[in-house]
Amino acid sequence: MRFSSFTYLVGQGWHNMRANRLMTFASMGVLTVCMLLVGAAFLVGINIDAMVEYIGEQNQTIVYLQDGLTEEQTAAVDSAIRAIPGVVGVTYVSPEEVLQRYDSELQLDSRTSLAAAFADDIPFDANYIVVVDDLKNLSGILPQLLAIDGVTDLRSPLELSEVFLSLQRAITYAGYGMVGVLALVSIVIINNTIRITVFSRRKEIGIMKLVGATNGFIRFPFFVEGVTSGLLSAAIASGIICGAYYALIRWYGEHQNNITQMFGGSLVPLQEVWYILVVAFAAFGFVLCGIGTATSIRKHLNV
Amino acid sequence: MIDFEHVTKIYETKNDENVALEDVSLHIDEGEFVFVLGHSGAGKSTFLKLMLMEEKPTEGVVAINGQDLTRIKRRKVPYMRRQMGCVFQDFRLIPTMTVYENVAFAMRVTNISTKTIKSRVPFALSLVGLEDKMDRLPDELSGGEQQRVAVARALAHGPKLIIADEPTGNIDPEMSMDIMQLFEAINKVHITVVVVTHEHELVHKLAAKYNNRIITLAHGQIADDTAHPEVAREYAARMAERESEEVYAE
Repeated sequence: MRFSSFTYLVGQGWHNMRANRLMTFASMGVLTVCMLLVGAAFLVGINIDAMVEYIGEQNQTIVYLQDGLTEEQTAAVDSAIRAIPGVVGVTYVSPEEVLQRYDSELQLDSRTSLAAAFADDIPFDANYIVVVDDLKNLSGILPQLLAIDGVTDLRSPLELSEVFLSLQRAITYAGYGMVGVLALVSIVIINNTIRITVFSRRKEIGIMKLVGATNGFIRFPFFVEGVTSGLLSAAIASGIICGAYYALIRWYGEHQNNITQMFGGSLVPLQEVWYILVVAFAAFGFVLCGIGTATSIRKHLNV
Repeated sequence: MIDFEHVTKIYETKNDENVALEDVSLHIDEGEFVFVLGHSGAGKSTFLKLMLMEEKPTEGVVAINGQDLTRIKRRKVPYMRRQMGCVFQDFRLIPTMTVYENVAFAMRVTNISTKTIKSRVPFALSLVGLEDKMDRLPDELSGGEQQRVAVARALAHGPKLIIADEPTGNIDPEMSMDIMQLFEAINKVHITVVVVTHEHELVHKLAAKYNNRIITLAHGQIADDTAHPEVAREYAARMAERESEEVYAE
Protein backbone atom coordinates (compact mmCIF):
# COMPACT_ATOMS: atom_id res chain seq x y z
CA MET A 1 0.00 0.00 0.00
CA ARG A 2 1.26 3.46 -0.86
CA PHE A 3 1.85 5.93 1.94
CA SER A 4 -0.60 8.38 0.34
CA SER A 5 -3.22 5.60 0.27
CA PHE A 6 -2.51 4.78 3.89
CA THR A 7 -2.97 8.36 5.05
CA TYR A 8 -6.08 8.64 2.90
CA LEU A 9 -7.63 5.54 4.47
CA VAL A 10 -6.74 6.64 8.01
CA GLY A 11 -8.36 10.00 7.19
CA GLN A 12 -11.44 8.18 5.93
CA GLY A 13 -11.67 6.23 9.18
CA TRP A 14 -11.58 9.45 11.19
CA HIS A 15 -14.05 11.05 8.83
CA ASN A 16 -16.43 8.15 9.51
CA MET A 17 -16.12 8.77 13.22
CA ARG A 18 -17.07 12.40 12.81
CA ALA A 19 -19.89 11.58 10.42
CA ASN A 20 -21.41 9.15 12.94
CA ARG A 21 -20.41 11.23 15.94
CA LEU A 22 -23.43 10.28 18.03
CA MET A 23 -22.71 6.60 17.67
CA THR A 24 -19.01 7.20 18.19
CA PHE A 25 -19.75 9.06 21.43
CA ALA A 26 -22.09 6.35 22.62
CA SER A 27 -19.63 3.56 21.97
CA MET A 28 -16.70 5.47 23.44
CA GLY A 29 -18.79 6.32 26.50
CA VAL A 30 -19.62 2.69 27.13
CA LEU A 31 -16.04 1.62 26.53
CA THR A 32 -14.75 4.29 28.90
CA VAL A 33 -17.16 3.22 31.65
CA CYS A 34 -16.12 -0.42 31.17
CA MET A 35 -12.47 0.53 31.48
CA LEU A 36 -13.14 2.65 34.56
CA LEU A 37 -14.87 -0.28 36.26
CA VAL A 38 -11.97 -2.58 35.54
CA GLY A 39 -9.46 0.08 36.54
CA ALA A 40 -11.25 0.69 39.83
CA ALA A 41 -11.34 -3.03 40.55
CA PHE A 42 -7.63 -3.19 39.81
CA LEU A 43 -6.83 -0.29 42.15
CA VAL A 44 -8.92 -1.70 44.98
CA GLY A 45 -7.24 -5.05 44.39
CA ILE A 46 -3.67 -3.81 44.57
CA ASN A 47 -4.40 -1.69 47.63
CA ILE A 48 -5.88 -4.67 49.42
CA ASP A 49 -2.82 -6.62 48.36
CA ALA A 50 -0.60 -3.95 49.85
CA MET A 51 -2.62 -3.94 53.08
CA VAL A 52 -2.54 -7.71 53.39
CA GLU A 53 1.18 -7.60 52.84
CA TYR A 54 1.58 -4.89 55.47
CA ILE A 55 -0.43 -6.87 57.98
CA GLY A 56 1.56 -9.93 57.01
CA GLU A 57 4.74 -8.09 57.88
CA GLN A 58 3.25 -7.22 61.23
CA ASN A 59 2.11 -10.76 61.83
CA GLN A 60 3.05 -11.74 65.31
CA THR A 61 1.39 -14.50 67.20
CA ILE A 62 1.92 -14.32 70.94
CA VAL A 63 2.16 -17.70 72.63
CA TYR A 64 1.56 -17.53 76.38
CA LEU A 65 3.35 -19.99 78.60
CA GLN A 66 2.16 -21.66 81.74
CA ASP A 67 3.31 -20.04 84.92
CA GLY A 68 6.33 -21.50 86.63
CA LEU A 69 7.85 -23.60 83.86
CA THR A 70 11.32 -24.89 84.52
CA GLU A 71 14.15 -24.00 82.16
CA GLU A 72 14.09 -27.46 80.58
CA GLN A 73 10.35 -27.21 80.02
CA THR A 74 10.76 -23.78 78.44
CA ALA A 75 13.53 -25.11 76.20
CA ALA A 76 11.24 -28.00 75.17
CA VAL A 77 8.48 -25.53 74.22
CA ASP A 78 11.05 -23.51 72.31
CA SER A 79 12.20 -26.44 70.23
CA ALA A 80 8.59 -27.64 69.71
CA ILE A 81 7.62 -24.24 68.26
CA ARG A 82 10.69 -24.15 66.02
CA ALA A 83 9.87 -27.64 64.75
CA ILE A 84 6.56 -26.50 63.24
CA PRO A 85 6.93 -25.95 59.47
CA GLY A 86 6.18 -22.38 58.41
CA VAL A 87 7.48 -20.77 61.58
CA VAL A 88 10.24 -18.36 60.69
CA GLY A 89 10.78 -16.39 63.85
CA VAL A 90 10.68 -17.33 67.53
CA THR A 91 11.52 -14.78 70.22
CA TYR A 92 11.37 -15.53 73.92
CA VAL A 93 10.04 -12.76 76.09
CA SER A 94 10.63 -13.28 79.82
CA PRO A 95 8.21 -11.95 82.46
CA GLU A 96 10.83 -9.31 83.33
CA GLU A 97 10.93 -8.07 79.77
CA VAL A 98 7.15 -7.82 79.67
CA LEU A 99 7.22 -5.81 82.85
CA GLN A 100 9.96 -3.60 81.43
CA ARG A 101 7.96 -2.94 78.30
CA TYR A 102 4.85 -1.97 80.23
CA ASP A 103 6.92 0.24 82.40
CA SER A 104 8.38 2.17 79.51
CA GLU A 105 5.11 2.32 77.56
CA LEU A 106 3.13 3.63 80.46
CA GLN A 107 5.88 6.13 81.17
CA LEU A 108 5.05 6.63 84.79
CA ASP A 109 7.21 9.15 86.53
CA SER A 110 10.50 8.05 88.04
CA ARG A 111 9.20 7.83 91.57
CA THR A 112 6.61 5.17 90.79
CA SER A 113 8.43 2.67 88.64
CA LEU A 114 6.25 -0.29 87.74
CA ALA A 115 9.30 -2.44 87.46
CA ALA A 116 10.37 -1.59 90.94
CA ALA A 117 6.90 -2.10 92.39
CA PHE A 118 6.48 -5.59 90.96
CA ALA A 119 10.09 -6.65 91.00
CA ASP A 120 9.49 -9.41 93.51
CA ASP A 121 6.26 -10.82 92.17
CA ILE A 122 5.87 -10.26 88.47
CA PRO A 123 2.21 -10.63 87.43
CA PHE A 124 3.02 -11.47 83.80
CA ASP A 125 3.63 -14.81 82.16
CA ALA A 126 6.54 -15.49 79.90
CA ASN A 127 5.65 -15.71 76.22
CA TYR A 128 7.00 -16.38 72.75
CA ILE A 129 6.52 -14.09 69.78
CA VAL A 130 6.11 -16.32 66.76
CA VAL A 131 6.30 -15.09 63.16
CA VAL A 132 5.07 -17.28 60.30
CA ASP A 133 6.22 -17.13 56.70
CA ASP A 134 2.77 -16.61 55.15
CA LEU A 135 -0.51 -15.54 56.70
CA LYS A 136 -2.27 -18.19 54.66
CA ASN A 137 -0.51 -20.90 56.71
CA LEU A 138 -1.43 -19.32 60.02
CA SER A 139 -4.72 -21.15 60.50
CA GLY A 140 -2.88 -24.47 60.22
CA ILE A 141 -0.08 -23.47 62.58
CA LEU A 142 -2.21 -22.13 65.45
CA PRO A 143 -3.65 -25.50 66.65
CA GLN A 144 -0.15 -26.98 66.54
CA LEU A 145 1.07 -24.18 68.81
CA LEU A 146 -1.80 -24.69 71.24
CA ALA A 147 -1.13 -28.43 71.38
CA ILE A 148 2.38 -27.91 72.76
CA ASP A 149 2.70 -28.83 76.38
CA GLY A 150 3.11 -25.74 78.54
CA VAL A 151 1.26 -23.35 76.16
CA THR A 152 -1.83 -21.81 77.75
CA ASP A 153 -3.08 -19.27 75.27
CA LEU A 154 -2.51 -17.53 71.95
CA ARG A 155 -3.20 -14.18 70.46
CA SER A 156 -2.97 -13.87 66.66
CA PRO A 157 -4.08 -11.65 63.73
CA LEU A 158 -5.81 -14.66 62.21
CA GLU A 159 -9.31 -13.27 61.91
CA LEU A 160 -8.25 -10.03 60.34
CA SER A 161 -5.98 -11.79 57.90
CA GLU A 162 -8.75 -14.19 56.89
CA VAL A 163 -11.10 -11.31 56.16
CA PHE A 164 -8.47 -9.72 54.00
CA LEU A 165 -7.56 -12.86 52.16
CA SER A 166 -11.19 -13.54 51.26
CA LEU A 167 -11.63 -9.91 50.22
CA GLN A 168 -8.56 -10.19 48.04
CA ARG A 169 -9.94 -13.33 46.39
CA ALA A 170 -13.34 -11.73 45.82
CA ILE A 171 -11.78 -8.66 44.21
CA THR A 172 -9.62 -10.83 41.98
CA TYR A 173 -12.64 -12.82 40.74
CA ALA A 174 -14.75 -9.69 40.32
CA GLY A 175 -11.88 -8.22 38.31
CA TYR A 176 -11.73 -11.24 36.02
CA GLY A 177 -15.50 -11.18 35.62
CA MET A 178 -15.44 -7.51 34.74
CA VAL A 179 -12.71 -7.98 32.18
CA GLY A 180 -14.83 -10.70 30.56
CA VAL A 181 -17.92 -8.51 30.50
CA LEU A 182 -15.92 -5.58 29.18
CA ALA A 183 -14.55 -7.70 26.38
CA LEU A 184 -18.03 -8.82 25.36
CA VAL A 185 -19.64 -5.38 25.67
CA SER A 186 -16.84 -3.72 23.71
CA ILE A 187 -17.09 -6.20 20.89
CA VAL A 188 -20.87 -5.84 20.68
CA ILE A 189 -20.70 -2.04 20.80
CA ILE A 190 -17.98 -1.77 18.18
CA ASN A 191 -19.83 -4.31 16.07
CA ASN A 192 -22.93 -2.17 16.13
CA THR A 193 -21.07 1.05 15.39
CA ILE A 194 -19.36 -0.49 12.41
CA ARG A 195 -22.66 -1.88 11.16
CA ILE A 196 -24.14 1.60 11.19
CA THR A 197 -21.12 3.01 9.39
CA VAL A 198 -21.32 0.26 6.79
CA PHE A 199 -25.00 1.01 6.29
CA SER A 200 -24.51 4.76 5.95
CA ARG A 201 -21.68 4.20 3.48
CA ARG A 202 -23.08 1.29 1.50
CA LYS A 203 -23.18 3.38 -1.67
CA GLU A 204 -19.50 4.27 -1.43
CA ILE A 205 -18.64 0.68 -0.61
CA GLY A 206 -20.58 -0.48 -3.67
CA ILE A 207 -18.66 1.96 -5.87
CA MET A 208 -15.37 0.93 -4.29
CA LYS A 209 -16.09 -2.69 -5.16
CA LEU A 210 -17.04 -1.79 -8.71
CA VAL A 211 -13.96 0.23 -9.48
CA GLY A 212 -11.80 -2.60 -8.16
CA ALA A 213 -10.86 -1.65 -4.61
CA THR A 214 -9.39 -4.62 -2.79
CA ASN A 215 -11.06 -5.95 0.35
CA GLY A 216 -8.21 -4.66 2.45
CA PHE A 217 -8.77 -1.16 1.10
CA ILE A 218 -12.49 -1.31 1.85
CA ARG A 219 -11.96 -2.66 5.36
CA PHE A 220 -9.09 -0.50 6.46
CA PRO A 221 -11.03 2.70 7.34
CA PHE A 222 -13.39 0.64 9.50
CA PHE A 223 -10.43 -0.82 11.29
CA VAL A 224 -9.04 2.68 11.85
CA GLU A 225 -12.41 3.78 13.20
CA GLY A 226 -12.67 0.89 15.66
CA VAL A 227 -9.11 1.10 16.91
CA THR A 228 -9.23 4.88 17.26
CA SER A 229 -12.43 4.63 19.33
CA GLY A 230 -10.70 2.07 21.54
CA LEU A 231 -7.57 4.14 22.02
CA LEU A 232 -9.46 7.38 22.64
CA SER A 233 -11.61 5.62 25.23
CA ALA A 234 -8.42 4.32 26.83
CA ALA A 235 -6.98 7.84 26.98
CA ILE A 236 -10.14 9.27 28.55
CA ALA A 237 -10.43 6.42 31.05
CA SER A 238 -6.75 6.74 31.98
CA GLY A 239 -7.13 10.47 32.60
CA ILE A 240 -10.24 10.06 34.73
CA ILE A 241 -8.97 7.18 36.81
CA CYS A 242 -5.50 8.66 37.45
CA GLY A 243 -7.05 11.99 38.44
CA ALA A 244 -9.59 10.37 40.73
CA TYR A 245 -6.99 8.12 42.32
CA TYR A 246 -4.65 11.05 42.91
CA ALA A 247 -7.46 12.91 44.67
CA LEU A 248 -8.26 9.81 46.73
CA ILE A 249 -4.65 9.42 47.83
CA ARG A 250 -4.57 13.03 49.02
CA TRP A 251 -7.87 12.70 50.83
CA TYR A 252 -6.72 9.48 52.48
CA GLY A 253 -3.49 11.09 53.61
CA GLU A 254 -5.38 13.97 55.20
CA HIS A 255 -7.96 11.80 56.93
CA GLN A 256 -5.90 9.40 59.00
CA ASN A 257 -7.25 7.53 62.02
CA ASN A 258 -6.50 4.42 64.04
CA ILE A 259 -7.93 2.08 61.45
CA THR A 260 -6.06 3.56 58.50
CA GLN A 261 -2.89 3.51 60.60
CA MET A 262 -3.42 -0.16 61.26
CA PHE A 263 -3.20 -0.81 57.52
CA GLY A 264 -0.04 1.12 56.95
CA GLY A 265 -1.46 4.61 56.69
CA SER A 266 -1.08 5.17 52.94
CA LEU A 267 -2.38 3.91 49.60
CA VAL A 268 -0.22 2.55 46.80
CA PRO A 269 1.27 5.71 45.23
CA LEU A 270 0.05 6.84 41.81
CA GLN A 271 3.53 6.68 40.24
CA GLU A 272 3.60 2.93 40.87
CA VAL A 273 0.33 2.24 39.06
CA TRP A 274 -0.40 4.87 36.42
CA TYR A 275 1.62 3.25 33.64
CA ILE A 276 0.05 -0.14 34.30
CA LEU A 277 -3.40 1.42 33.90
CA VAL A 278 -2.49 3.35 30.75
CA VAL A 279 -0.81 0.40 29.03
CA ALA A 280 -3.59 -2.03 30.02
CA PHE A 281 -6.34 0.34 28.85
CA ALA A 282 -4.59 1.01 25.56
CA ALA A 283 -4.06 -2.71 25.00
CA PHE A 284 -7.69 -3.42 25.87
CA GLY A 285 -8.95 -0.70 23.57
CA PHE A 286 -6.73 -1.78 20.72
CA VAL A 287 -7.26 -5.52 20.94
CA LEU A 288 -10.98 -5.57 21.76
CA CYS A 289 -11.96 -2.90 19.27
CA GLY A 290 -9.76 -4.56 16.69
CA ILE A 291 -11.57 -7.85 17.25
CA GLY A 292 -14.94 -6.08 17.29
CA THR A 293 -14.19 -4.43 13.96
CA ALA A 294 -12.73 -7.51 12.35
CA THR A 295 -15.75 -9.64 13.22
CA SER A 296 -18.30 -7.04 12.15
CA ILE A 297 -16.74 -6.16 8.80
CA ARG A 298 -16.56 -9.81 7.95
CA LYS A 299 -20.24 -10.13 8.76
CA HIS A 300 -21.71 -6.89 7.45
CA LEU A 301 -19.40 -5.81 4.68
CA ASN A 302 -19.45 -9.12 2.85
CA VAL A 303 -16.38 -8.32 0.81
CA MET B 1 -11.39 -9.24 -25.69
CA ILE B 2 -14.69 -10.64 -24.43
CA ASP B 3 -15.70 -14.26 -24.97
CA PHE B 4 -18.87 -16.07 -23.97
CA GLU B 5 -18.73 -19.78 -24.70
CA HIS B 6 -22.00 -21.69 -24.34
CA VAL B 7 -22.94 -19.64 -21.32
CA THR B 8 -26.08 -20.60 -19.43
CA LYS B 9 -27.21 -18.84 -16.29
CA ILE B 10 -30.06 -20.25 -14.23
CA TYR B 11 -31.31 -18.49 -11.11
CA GLU B 12 -32.72 -21.03 -8.76
CA THR B 13 -35.35 -20.10 -6.23
CA LYS B 14 -37.06 -22.38 -3.74
CA ASN B 15 -39.63 -23.88 -6.05
CA ASP B 16 -38.74 -22.41 -9.38
CA GLU B 17 -35.86 -21.87 -11.70
CA ASN B 18 -35.43 -18.98 -14.05
CA VAL B 19 -33.28 -19.36 -17.12
CA ALA B 20 -31.73 -15.92 -17.66
CA LEU B 21 -29.23 -16.88 -20.35
CA GLU B 22 -29.35 -20.02 -22.45
CA ASP B 23 -26.33 -21.32 -24.35
CA VAL B 24 -25.02 -17.89 -25.32
CA SER B 25 -21.80 -17.74 -27.33
CA LEU B 26 -20.24 -14.57 -28.64
CA HIS B 27 -16.94 -12.85 -29.21
CA ILE B 28 -16.26 -9.12 -28.96
CA ASP B 29 -12.97 -7.92 -30.40
CA GLU B 30 -10.65 -5.38 -28.90
CA GLY B 31 -11.59 -1.88 -30.05
CA GLU B 32 -15.14 -2.82 -31.01
CA PHE B 33 -18.21 -0.78 -30.13
CA VAL B 34 -21.12 -3.05 -29.36
CA PHE B 35 -24.69 -2.33 -28.40
CA VAL B 36 -26.45 -5.08 -26.49
CA LEU B 37 -30.15 -4.55 -27.05
CA GLY B 38 -33.09 -6.28 -25.46
CA HIS B 39 -36.35 -5.83 -23.62
CA SER B 40 -36.46 -6.24 -19.89
CA GLY B 41 -36.11 -9.89 -18.98
CA ALA B 42 -34.15 -10.66 -22.14
CA GLY B 43 -31.01 -11.38 -20.15
CA LYS B 44 -29.18 -8.03 -20.42
CA SER B 45 -28.58 -7.62 -16.71
CA THR B 46 -27.29 -11.14 -16.38
CA PHE B 47 -25.01 -10.59 -19.35
CA LEU B 48 -23.58 -7.54 -17.53
CA LYS B 49 -23.29 -9.19 -14.14
CA LEU B 50 -21.32 -12.04 -15.65
CA MET B 51 -18.82 -9.60 -17.16
CA LEU B 52 -18.57 -7.64 -13.90
CA MET B 53 -18.03 -10.88 -11.96
CA GLU B 54 -21.05 -10.23 -9.79
CA GLU B 55 -22.44 -13.59 -10.87
CA LYS B 56 -20.95 -16.83 -12.12
CA PRO B 57 -22.44 -18.76 -15.05
CA THR B 58 -24.24 -22.02 -14.32
CA GLU B 59 -22.55 -23.49 -17.37
CA GLY B 60 -20.01 -22.30 -19.91
CA VAL B 61 -17.10 -19.90 -19.83
CA VAL B 62 -16.92 -16.10 -19.68
CA ALA B 63 -13.48 -14.71 -20.46
CA ILE B 64 -12.03 -11.23 -20.71
CA ASN B 65 -8.61 -10.85 -22.31
CA GLY B 66 -8.32 -14.63 -22.33
CA GLN B 67 -8.78 -14.79 -18.57
CA ASP B 68 -11.52 -17.23 -17.56
CA LEU B 69 -13.65 -15.26 -15.10
CA THR B 70 -15.25 -18.39 -13.69
CA ARG B 71 -11.89 -19.67 -12.49
CA ILE B 72 -10.59 -16.43 -11.08
CA LYS B 73 -9.77 -16.31 -7.37
CA ARG B 74 -11.92 -14.09 -5.21
CA ARG B 75 -9.07 -11.87 -4.19
CA LYS B 76 -8.05 -11.39 -7.83
CA VAL B 77 -11.51 -10.05 -8.74
CA PRO B 78 -10.67 -6.42 -7.80
CA TYR B 79 -7.63 -6.46 -10.09
CA MET B 80 -9.76 -7.82 -12.97
CA ARG B 81 -12.29 -5.05 -12.39
CA ARG B 82 -9.57 -2.43 -12.70
CA GLN B 83 -9.15 -3.41 -16.33
CA MET B 84 -12.61 -2.05 -17.08
CA GLY B 85 -14.63 1.07 -16.46
CA CYS B 86 -18.32 0.97 -15.64
CA VAL B 87 -21.13 3.44 -16.20
CA PHE B 88 -24.59 2.91 -14.74
CA GLN B 89 -28.10 4.17 -15.29
CA ASP B 90 -28.20 5.73 -11.79
CA PHE B 91 -24.72 7.34 -12.18
CA ARG B 92 -23.59 6.04 -8.77
CA LEU B 93 -21.90 9.26 -7.75
CA ILE B 94 -21.32 10.06 -4.10
CA PRO B 95 -23.54 13.07 -3.33
CA THR B 96 -21.29 14.49 -0.60
CA MET B 97 -18.23 14.62 -2.86
CA THR B 98 -17.51 17.18 -5.54
CA VAL B 99 -17.14 16.18 -9.18
CA TYR B 100 -13.35 16.16 -8.78
CA GLU B 101 -13.51 14.11 -5.59
CA ASN B 102 -15.84 11.57 -7.13
CA VAL B 103 -13.37 10.83 -9.90
CA ALA B 104 -10.38 10.99 -7.53
CA PHE B 105 -12.12 8.65 -5.07
CA ALA B 106 -12.33 5.84 -7.62
CA MET B 107 -8.62 6.22 -8.37
CA ARG B 108 -7.64 6.59 -4.73
CA VAL B 109 -9.27 3.35 -3.65
CA THR B 110 -7.42 1.45 -6.35
CA ASN B 111 -4.09 2.52 -4.86
CA ILE B 112 -3.12 5.10 -7.48
CA SER B 113 -0.59 7.72 -6.37
CA THR B 114 -1.69 11.23 -5.44
CA LYS B 115 0.54 12.65 -8.14
CA THR B 116 -1.13 10.58 -10.85
CA ILE B 117 -4.58 11.43 -9.49
CA LYS B 118 -3.81 15.16 -9.58
CA SER B 119 -2.85 15.03 -13.23
CA ARG B 120 -5.35 12.43 -14.41
CA VAL B 121 -8.61 13.71 -12.89
CA PRO B 122 -8.64 17.12 -14.65
CA PHE B 123 -7.67 15.36 -17.88
CA ALA B 124 -10.53 12.87 -17.60
CA LEU B 125 -12.97 15.67 -16.77
CA SER B 126 -11.78 17.71 -19.73
CA LEU B 127 -12.45 14.71 -22.00
CA VAL B 128 -16.13 14.85 -21.00
CA GLY B 129 -16.21 18.66 -21.09
CA LEU B 130 -16.65 19.27 -17.37
CA GLU B 131 -13.29 20.80 -16.47
CA ASP B 132 -15.03 24.00 -15.35
CA LYS B 133 -17.41 22.17 -12.99
CA MET B 134 -14.87 20.23 -10.96
CA ASP B 135 -15.85 21.83 -7.65
CA ARG B 136 -19.59 21.33 -8.03
CA LEU B 137 -21.56 18.71 -6.15
CA PRO B 138 -23.41 16.11 -8.25
CA ASP B 139 -26.80 17.53 -7.21
CA GLU B 140 -25.92 20.86 -8.83
CA LEU B 141 -25.49 19.19 -12.21
CA SER B 142 -28.02 18.01 -14.79
CA GLY B 143 -28.56 14.29 -15.35
CA GLY B 144 -26.49 14.37 -18.52
CA GLU B 145 -23.65 16.11 -16.73
CA GLN B 146 -23.76 13.66 -13.85
CA GLN B 147 -23.50 10.81 -16.32
CA ARG B 148 -20.50 12.50 -17.91
CA VAL B 149 -18.85 12.60 -14.49
CA ALA B 150 -19.49 8.87 -14.24
CA VAL B 151 -17.91 8.42 -17.68
CA ALA B 152 -14.89 10.45 -16.60
CA ARG B 153 -14.60 8.27 -13.51
CA ALA B 154 -14.77 5.12 -15.64
CA LEU B 155 -12.04 6.47 -17.93
CA ALA B 156 -9.70 7.94 -15.31
CA HIS B 157 -7.67 4.84 -14.60
CA GLY B 158 -7.15 4.12 -18.28
CA PRO B 159 -9.18 0.95 -18.85
CA LYS B 160 -9.19 -0.98 -22.13
CA LEU B 161 -12.89 -1.75 -21.79
CA ILE B 162 -15.89 0.42 -20.92
CA ILE B 163 -19.14 -1.25 -19.92
CA ALA B 164 -22.27 0.89 -19.73
CA ASP B 165 -25.58 -0.26 -18.30
CA GLU B 166 -28.52 1.78 -19.63
CA PRO B 167 -26.37 4.92 -19.57
CA THR B 168 -29.17 7.06 -20.97
CA GLY B 169 -31.96 5.61 -18.84
CA ASN B 170 -32.15 8.60 -16.50
CA ILE B 171 -31.46 11.50 -18.82
CA ASP B 172 -33.51 13.40 -21.36
CA PRO B 173 -33.38 12.42 -25.06
CA GLU B 174 -31.17 15.25 -26.34
CA MET B 175 -28.64 14.55 -23.65
CA SER B 176 -28.86 10.83 -24.42
CA MET B 177 -27.47 11.49 -27.88
CA ASP B 178 -24.60 13.47 -26.34
CA ILE B 179 -23.70 10.67 -23.98
CA MET B 180 -23.79 8.07 -26.73
CA GLN B 181 -21.59 10.25 -28.91
CA LEU B 182 -19.19 10.53 -26.00
CA PHE B 183 -18.92 6.74 -26.01
CA GLU B 184 -18.30 6.82 -29.77
CA ALA B 185 -15.46 9.27 -29.15
CA ILE B 186 -13.99 7.04 -26.48
CA ASN B 187 -14.14 4.12 -28.88
CA LYS B 188 -12.10 6.11 -31.39
CA VAL B 189 -9.04 5.84 -29.14
CA HIS B 190 -9.26 2.05 -29.35
CA ILE B 191 -11.14 1.43 -26.11
CA THR B 192 -13.65 -1.41 -26.38
CA VAL B 193 -17.15 -0.17 -25.52
CA VAL B 194 -20.13 -2.35 -24.60
CA VAL B 195 -23.39 -0.45 -24.10
CA VAL B 196 -26.34 -2.41 -22.76
CA THR B 197 -29.66 -0.69 -23.37
CA HIS B 198 -33.30 -1.16 -24.33
CA GLU B 199 -33.54 2.03 -26.40
CA HIS B 200 -33.94 0.58 -29.90
CA GLU B 201 -34.54 3.84 -31.70
CA LEU B 202 -31.49 5.59 -30.35
CA VAL B 203 -29.30 2.57 -30.99
CA HIS B 204 -30.41 2.14 -34.59
CA LYS B 205 -29.94 5.83 -35.28
CA LEU B 206 -26.39 5.72 -33.93
CA ALA B 207 -25.52 2.40 -35.52
CA ALA B 208 -26.58 3.74 -38.89
CA LYS B 209 -24.23 6.68 -38.46
CA TYR B 210 -21.21 4.98 -36.84
CA ASN B 211 -21.71 1.45 -38.14
CA ASN B 212 -21.79 -0.13 -34.66
CA ARG B 213 -22.42 -3.78 -34.03
CA ILE B 214 -25.77 -4.58 -32.41
CA ILE B 215 -26.36 -7.77 -30.48
CA THR B 216 -30.00 -8.35 -29.65
CA LEU B 217 -30.97 -10.54 -26.74
CA ALA B 218 -34.37 -12.18 -26.44
CA HIS B 219 -35.54 -14.88 -24.06
CA GLY B 220 -32.01 -15.38 -22.79
CA GLN B 221 -30.60 -16.05 -26.25
CA ILE B 222 -28.91 -14.02 -28.97
CA ALA B 223 -31.71 -13.22 -31.38
CA ASP B 224 -29.66 -11.10 -33.73
CA ASP B 225 -26.08 -10.00 -34.24
CA THR B 226 -25.36 -7.50 -37.00
CA ALA B 227 -21.80 -8.79 -37.29
CA HIS B 228 -23.03 -12.34 -37.86
CA PRO B 229 -26.21 -12.44 -39.96
CA GLU B 230 -26.47 -16.22 -39.62
CA VAL B 231 -27.23 -15.82 -35.90
CA ALA B 232 -30.65 -14.34 -36.63
CA ARG B 233 -31.52 -17.17 -39.03
CA GLU B 234 -30.46 -19.79 -36.52
CA TYR B 235 -32.46 -18.11 -33.78
CA ALA B 236 -35.56 -17.90 -35.99
CA ALA B 237 -35.20 -21.58 -36.85
CA ARG B 238 -34.82 -22.50 -33.19
CA MET B 239 -37.87 -20.51 -32.23
CA ALA B 240 -39.94 -22.05 -35.03
CA GLU B 241 -38.87 -25.51 -33.93
CA ARG B 242 -39.74 -24.78 -30.34
CA GLU B 243 -43.11 -23.38 -31.36
CA SER B 244 -43.98 -26.47 -33.34
CA GLU B 245 -42.89 -28.62 -30.43
CA GLU B 246 -45.23 -26.72 -28.20
CA VAL B 247 -48.08 -27.07 -30.69
CA TYR B 248 -47.32 -30.77 -30.97
CA ALA B 249 -47.32 -31.10 -27.21
CA GLU B 250 -50.71 -29.49 -27.03
